[in-house]
Amino acid sequence: MTWQPSTPRAIFSSLDAGVFMRPCRILLLLSLPWAGAQGQGRDDGQWTMPGKNYASTRYSTLTAITAANVARLRPVWSFSTGVLGGHEGQPLVVDGTMYVVTPFPNVLYAFDLAQEGYPLKWKYRPDVSATSVGIACCDAINRGAFYTGGKIVYNLLDGHTVAVDAVTGKELWKTQIADMTRGETTPMAPFVVKDRVIVGPSGGEFGIHGWAKALDLATGRLIWTAYNAGPDSAVLAGAAFKPFYDKGPELALKTWEGDAWQTGGVPVWGWLSYDPELDLLYFGTGNAAPYNAEQRPGDNKWASSVLARRPEDGALVWAYQFTPHENWDYDANAEMILVDLTIQGRLRKTLVHFDKNGFAYTLDRVTGEVLVAEPFTTVTWAKRVDRASGRPVVDTTRLTGASRGNVRDICPSLEGGKTPVAPAAYSPRTGLFYVATNNLCMDFEASAAAHIAGTPYIGASTPYHAGPGGHMGAFIAWDARVGRKVWEIREPYPVWSGSVATAGDVVFYGTLDGWFKAADARSGKVLWKFKVGSGVVGCPITYRGPDGKQYVAIYAGIGGDWFLLSGDVRSDDPADVRPPADFAPNLARHTSQGGIVWIFGL
Amino acid sequence: MPPAVRSDAHVFAGGVAPPAGTLSNPFAGDRQAAGDGERIFRAMNCDGCHGGGALGWEGPSLVDGRWRYGGGDGEVFHSIYYGRPRGMPAYGGILETDGIWKIVTYLRAQPVPQDVPTEQWTP
Repeated sequence: MTWQPSTPRAIFSSLDAGVFMRPCRILLLLSLPWAGAQGQGRDDGQWTMPGKNYASTRYSTLTAITAANVARLRPVWSFSTGVLGGHEGQPLVVDGTMYVVTPFPNVLYAFDLAQEGYPLKWKYRPDVSATSVGIACCDAINRGAFYTGGKIVYNLLDGHTVAVDAVTGKELWKTQIADMTRGETTPMAPFVVKDRVIVGPSGGEFGIHGWAKALDLATGRLIWTAYNAGPDSAVLAGAAFKPFYDKGPELALKTWEGDAWQTGGVPVWGWLSYDPELDLLYFGTGNAAPYNAEQRPGDNKWASSVLARRPEDGALVWAYQFTPHENWDYDANAEMILVDLTIQGRLRKTLVHFDKNGFAYTLDRVTGEVLVAEPFTTVTWAKRVDRASGRPVVDTTRLTGASRGNVRDICPSLEGGKTPVAPAAYSPRTGLFYVATNNLCMDFEASAAAHIAGTPYIGASTPYHAGPGGHMGAFIAWDARVGRKVWEIREPYPVWSGSVATAGDVVFYGTLDGWFKAADARSGKVLWKFKVGSGVVGCPITYRGPDGKQYVAIYAGIGGDWFLLSGDVRSDDPADVRPPADFAPNLARHTSQGGIVWIFGL
Repeated sequence: MPPAVRSDAHVFAGGVAPPAGTLSNPFAGDRQAAGDGERIFRAMNCDGCHGGGALGWEGPSLVDGRWRYGGGDGEVFHSIYYGRPRGMPAYGGILETDGIWKIVTYLRAQPVPQDVPTEQWTP
């Protein structure tokens, strides 16, 4: 993920219309969460999985809240989670109940949306090891849960997946999936396809050997493990594996020197997608370890890549590496949004991805071919992406490594042109993607790193500065058919929030300085905003309540990398009184840590 | 094997301090040992959590004069040797006692800024 060792200077350097019908559980089981290639189709007004649907469009067909009336939006409810820390991810709303997972210690709350004041039905307080707080690289965050078949499934930070009965709150199973002694923690949201629960670890800063695993939804039993680097037998690259650009066997072994792949990172901590027609599961992989790239010559496949696997057995079908021989902590864990787009006159099954490396990619999701790859923010590490080879044309003066000293002015910074923490949304009505972006650059001074299991494995100091224009972030609308920015809303700080788009032609996002905003999906005009009490690093959702009305929900709770980068936003530890980050000296003037669930309505 | 160390930050029930051994730093004030300690601090990946210069990152600053588990030499030694909850690994199994003391000496050699509890944005 992201880590910035400090220097003394740096740290301080369908069915939408009509009234809500409480779905019975049988109906829920029958309803397919797949919302069609365009994110349209059946929408029961619920929010059952992180990305809203298998295509991860974060698009709702609800229409009650519109660009014309959103200015009248008002808070209707709020709740303190009791936890201070980065509130990433999103609530779920299923069958008149809202489910909220907190950061460590990963409490699961179930709120009764049918009762006044939304009282708790139950809360589930798992036994989570506090050691995980220090093994997680960048705050003790959690990215949420997945609902299916009467179960709420989510990960505990200390390397366990749990399934909880959605009605009673009783624990159904708990499975250890990761090993903290190897530097693995598990803040990502599981993703369920049929009876497979897909999970992965964080630990790109700890030299893990990254993987994805599938558990049986009914029992939690491990079904398959697929590593992201190493021999074909471990990567599950068999006869079905046909990457578009790379040829030959043992690609994920030969592109590393010696046994560097065994400690090469390549974690899975982001968002997953699934195309039921192609029966392909898509997810991105994280950075290669350590940050000192001279310790791992080669392309380092499949770090910083997208992998397409069969959910049944994990078999790798294709893979594409966005950043070969990743030098800059450019994880590719960001969401893969599955939509069908007309590219140069031809309707294509595409996968759209906004990478930390600053390029937005439109790929053919059948084959992994690059159709469009254009920068969506300032990019200096590469000049362009070569369409023939699929490889970036790297500016060799921006390559890093211990022998290269302090390499200056690399854009984007290792926070990413867009952070994978903040998934984009897609509206089929406008044909646009709505994306939280950063305008940060960095200097990068690498140094040799020693691998000691259970401790960080990094080797770089990377102070940041604002990119051109001086603003540090923007919320943008992007046309992935041609690779063009349509509008942008500039923000003083990096934008670290997910977004949601609706059929009311409104998009929602939050800011680090604690605003929750609604904008016109077509023009980018900000139509409404509300100060939510803490910076936003979570993802908004919208749903239809038991009263038939449309609501919007968001977490307030700054954290994640901003727990590290802006230590002065915390007030809960008298032993930790760091001065502000030098590139964002005023952030703590506008926010401090929090943990609040907000619901807004008309 | 280091003896149990008493923290002066604790309240002693009944006003009576529990029996405990003491630890003294054999390198206290030794500038060369402090330099060695800085190299060990980096080589053992301490900076991965506590930041370059021990200024704080996922783990707390070790040079701001404020301490969670006590700032005496023996207490800091204990924190490194046995680890602490919330993720501080126990290094006693892979670091020689002298190496730990050199890290303590390095931390001790860092200037502690004046403790200014007020962060102010307006004149």
